[in-house]
Amino acid sequence: MERRSFLKATAAAAAFSATGGIAAPALAQGAAARTLRFVPQANLANFDPIWGTQYVVRNASLLVWDTLYGVDETITPRRQMVESEEVSADGLTWTFKLRPGLRFHDNTPVLAKDVVASLTRWAVRDPMGQMLRALQNELVAVDDNTFRWSLKAPYPKMLLALGKNNSPCAFIMPERIAKTDPFQQITEYVGSGPFRFVRDEWVPGAKAVFARFDGYVPREEKPSWLSGGKKVMVERVEWIVMPDPATAAAALQNGEVDWWESPIADLVPVLRRNRNIEVDIADPLGNVGSFRMNHLHAPFNDPRARRAILMALSQEDYMRSLVGDDQSLWKEMGGFFTPNTPLYTEAGGAIMKGPRNLDAAKKLLQEAGYDGRPITLVVAQDQPITKSFGDVSADLLKRLGMNVDFVATDWGTVGARRALKTPPSQGGWHIFHTWHAGADCVNPAPYTAMRANGDNAWFGWPNNPDIEAARDQWFAASDLAGEKAAVDKMNALAVDFGLYAPTGFFLSYQAWRKNITGVVKAPAPFFWGVSKT
Amino acid sequence: MSTTFPSGGAPAAAPVMPDVMPTRIARKGITGYIFRNPTIAIGGFLLLLLIFVAVFAPFLWTKDPTALAPAMRTRAPSERWWFGTDMLGRDVYSRVLYGTRVSLIVGFGVAFFASVIGLTIGLISGFVRWADSIIMRVMDGLMSIPSILLAIALMALTRGSVGNVILAITVAEIPRVSRLVRGVVLSLREQPYVEAAIASGTRTPVIIWRHILPNTLAPMIVQATYICASAMIAEAILSFIGAGTPPIIPSWGNIMAEGRALWQVKPYIVFFPAIFLSITVLAVNLVGDGLRDSLDPRLAKRV
Amino acid sequence: MFAYIVRRILATIPVMAIVALFVFSLLYIAPGDPAAVIAGDQATPADVERIRASLGLDRPFVVRFGEWVFRIIQGDLGLSIFTNLPVTRMIAQRIEPTLSLMVVTLVLAITIAVPMGVVAAWKSGSLIDRMVMGFAVLGFSVPVFVVGYLLAYVFALELDWLPVQGYTPISNGLWPWFQNLILPAVALGGVYIALIARITRATMMEILQQDYIRTARAKGAGQTTILFLHALKNAAVPIVTIIGIGLAGLIGGAVVTESVFAIPGLGRLTVDAILRRDYPVIQGVILLFSFVYVLVNLLIDLSYTLFDPRIRY
Repeated sequence: MERRSFLKATAAAAAFSATGGIAAPALAQGAAARTLRFVPQANLANFDPIWGTQYVVRNASLLVWDTLYGVDETITPRRQMVESEEVSADGLTWTFKLRPGLRFHDNTPVLAKDVVASLTRWAVRDPMGQMLRALQNELVAVDDNTFRWSLKAPYPKMLLALGKNNSPCAFIMPERIAKTDPFQQITEYVGSGPFRFVRDEWVPGAKAVFARFDGYVPREEKPSWLSGGKKVMVERVEWIVMPDPATAAAALQNGEVDWWESPIADLVPVLRRNRNIEVDIADPLGNVGSFRMNHLHAPFNDPRARRAILMALSQEDYMRSLVGDDQSLWKEMGGFFTPNTPLYTEAGGAIMKGPRNLDAAKKLLQEAGYDGRPITLVVAQDQPITKSFGDVSADLLKRLGMNVDFVATDWGTVGARRALKTPPSQGGWHIFHTWHAGADCVNPAPYTAMRANGDNAWFGWPNNPDIEAARDQWFAASDLAGEKAAVDKMNALAVDFGLYAPTGFFLSYQAWRKNITGVVKAPAPFFWGVSKT
Repeated sequence: MSTTFPSGGAPAAAPVMPDVMPTRIARKGITGYIFRNPTIAIGGFLLLLLIFVAVFAPFLWTKDPTALAPAMRTRAPSERWWFGTDMLGRDVYSRVLYGTRVSLIVGFGVAFFASVIGLTIGLISGFVRWADSIIMRVMDGLMSIPSILLAIALMALTRGSVGNVILAITVAEIPRVSRLVRGVVLSLREQPYVEAAIASGTRTPVIIWRHILPNTLAPMIVQATYICASAMIAEAILSFIGAGTPPIIPSWGNIMAEGRALWQVKPYIVFFPAIFLSITVLAVNLVGDGLRDSLDPRLAKRV
Repeated sequence: MFAYIVRRILATIPVMAIVALFVFSLLYIAPGDPAAVIAGDQATPADVERIRASLGLDRPFVVRFGEWVFRIIQGDLGLSIFTNLPVTRMIAQRIEPTLSLMVVTLVLAITIAVPMGVVAAWKSGSLIDRMVMGFAVLGFSVPVFVVGYLLAYVFALELDWLPVQGYTPISNGLWPWFQNLILPAVALGGVYIALIARITRATMMEILQQDYIRTARAKGAGQTTILFLHALKNAAVPIVTIIGIGLAGLIGGAVVTESVFAIPGLGRLTVDAILRRDYPVIQGVILLFSFVYVLVNLLIDLSYTLFDPRIRY
């Protein structure tokens, strides 16, 4: 210990003399205290939250762009850019009034026409937006501060659509930017959020920098997730991308970064041993792992084969392999919706939990006519979560007596391949893995993976009109009891149909240096209210 | 060779050279060979040992290297798990032993294919004048792409399999072999006896068989051992970056890639395959050095 | 001489053309789909199709290759599919760390390896020679990431002498810049040191047998003078040649080193781009690396006359 601190002192002295005297390090110290260095879960490769919908893009966008409404920690939408709204008695006409004093980063005021253009672009790409578009009569600016959305049929989830934290969020951009084709990337990153994007310092794959926007007027309310007063306490936020978790852990231990969004569970004990580091659950809504089957091709075109998987799949194996021995970090799911949230249900989900029954599953597979053909399992190796899932699945299928054609590849290729409807032997697939943020599985609205509308459904293309009907029932429900009934029905139908196989619910950690205060548990890292000493 | 330096030099220099002399004691048979070529002997012994491990891995107290046991994950080395277990609870000892197969197959496979293809291309280039400049430009082009980048790019095209790893690394190594062979051919063609053979109308295949191949063999074998060693490293790097051998096949690169995130807490997952890889590459390099010294006439003359 | 230089420069054109064709067609037949990556996890197949069309990925090979070459000649490497930034700009952002890493590694490797090789040749057969040769073989045998992790563990985490990761621009001061580069340069330099030390030793051993060295000794020249002035100067050609050839390995090693030490350089850009199928970036970076390699080896060829007056063109 003695020797080490001596060596440290020597090194510090050397650094000191090299930077030329007292003034420089002192200055550096001040600047360091005002700059928050953050290691994000992934690289910010593109920066258009409507065009690219990865979680990391959404998270960065939350700094730069504001939303009309924002959900709080109970997933209730609260007013954010909107001052007041009014809905006609028939539920068809919504009139919104903007909060005064809103400004974009280029110092122009936020006007109703900006909102109209932004919502128009967003509605093309967002699942809820698409529903609104289908019902839309007109979306117009009444005056500079007021806009109106009139519909052909009531849409009770209007405010949730505008304030949800699921990607793509309904971000408000200046009209000239929002006029970009929704399938083209925007090239200018101007918003009205609490931070400005410092484009000159953006090095995709390595670094992204956000500076406090002095023209931002926070709301008065206490901040809660995407709602309330977004007060910024640091001058700069630097996102530093680190592809190697071991490096990120070392950097956090050495104080070279302040906050790490997604430490892997195995490294948490090391971080906990460090007295300067705080470790806590990142997102209480967690994640839902997915074993996704292709409903178009044998054997998984038969519900019995898919049910066999639900029966045999041990969520415990998947979860232990991924997050380790800490049992507080994971949970077996008896259904498809996010555990610990109001709509979570285990209706009909008995076969998903408890002791696994391989023999019964094998029998079901036989009944479904499985003929020993190779099962194409496509696994992205560059994502720790899918990589670990893939290894467990290969083992599971082997034990079920299935022949596995293990396709190890990267996330980009999985993305391309899963979109192919051709038979697995001709470039298609049987199974791939992914995971959904728990926030996307709290209810049917953002839960694209639970759609069962055949060709238009999410990859795997489940086709089951009953499930879709139950989903519509949820949209029409106006109280919690009605919503619950609809979701119970949807869950039971989906288990029976073997829509997909959840591999378990898991939480992940975040870690930060103790000189940072104000980090909250949330579905995304929030930088307002965070200060550094 | 000179045995003593003129006395004018620094005194420390004088007695150095004669020190190597005792190894020149002439002996017959295997022991003699070993004495004359200690590097080949050591390298060869290690290599044979590793080949033995690869072939007999199932009988060396191993378990199924792919069997998961998530409840027994990341256990430290102990009597039950000699090298510990990884994050899926697989036995690292068994994985490392089975991993020997992949490294050796990739190393030898690349060395073989790169030599055969490189030899063919080099011969064509050396004998077919009009093709020479085209082939050599293509080889220059390939050679100017850093081989690891080239292999990664090739792996991104195909799916991970041991065959594709061999293919990708082979493509990157071919230019070196073909240039070497072409160089030998061109210099041999200038030799009076080859010129005489050509002038007397001997057919090209015969010239190649009689005069060229025997002289190409020595430098090629040496080159092939180096290719073998670098292919093993390349396999590990590819797997390490996630563009190599499919992860369900235990290879040293894969084991290290999976353990890399945990090197701070569970260093043994990376440590054991790293040791095995280093020893294997070392063994191949030693054999290569030994072969070079005993086969390369120019260098052999001196020692 | 002048004619030779012109000829050598012209000879690089077909090489670069082949690299260009190779790089372009390689990625043309790649199976991964950037459109799918961009669209994200929640996108529907129809979304993916539309993004693909909007990126122009659905047009024929010849059209895309022709356009691409035409633009490259004008110095335009296109826009990254993912960031929408010009590839030239992305490369420019990343070039300083990689260049710094290369230069520091190169200087380090040469200053360590050449004296090592010279001493080994001079004391050929001695313990020092065996140690040097042993180290050289070891340098080839241990993968760069293993060395990297070991160094980071010992010197950064345990001893806390040096930073674990990252890069400080040279504009922030020479020491902070250098501090961040020491560990990666040592890790990356291992193979290079081994390579240069071996070739130096082999060449020096050959040269020390030459008549003029004996003459120099006979004339009573000092050992150091003989080694470093007479012999090393004559050994320069193979040593410089191997430095040029080894550059390709150095670039490859940088890819791994940059990822282990989180250095925001070109190597990481390449790997990220390949894993993400960002075609324009992959093409630009591989072209650049090849160009640098060709250029450096051209300069080395031309430099032979400096080292060895017997070589004339």
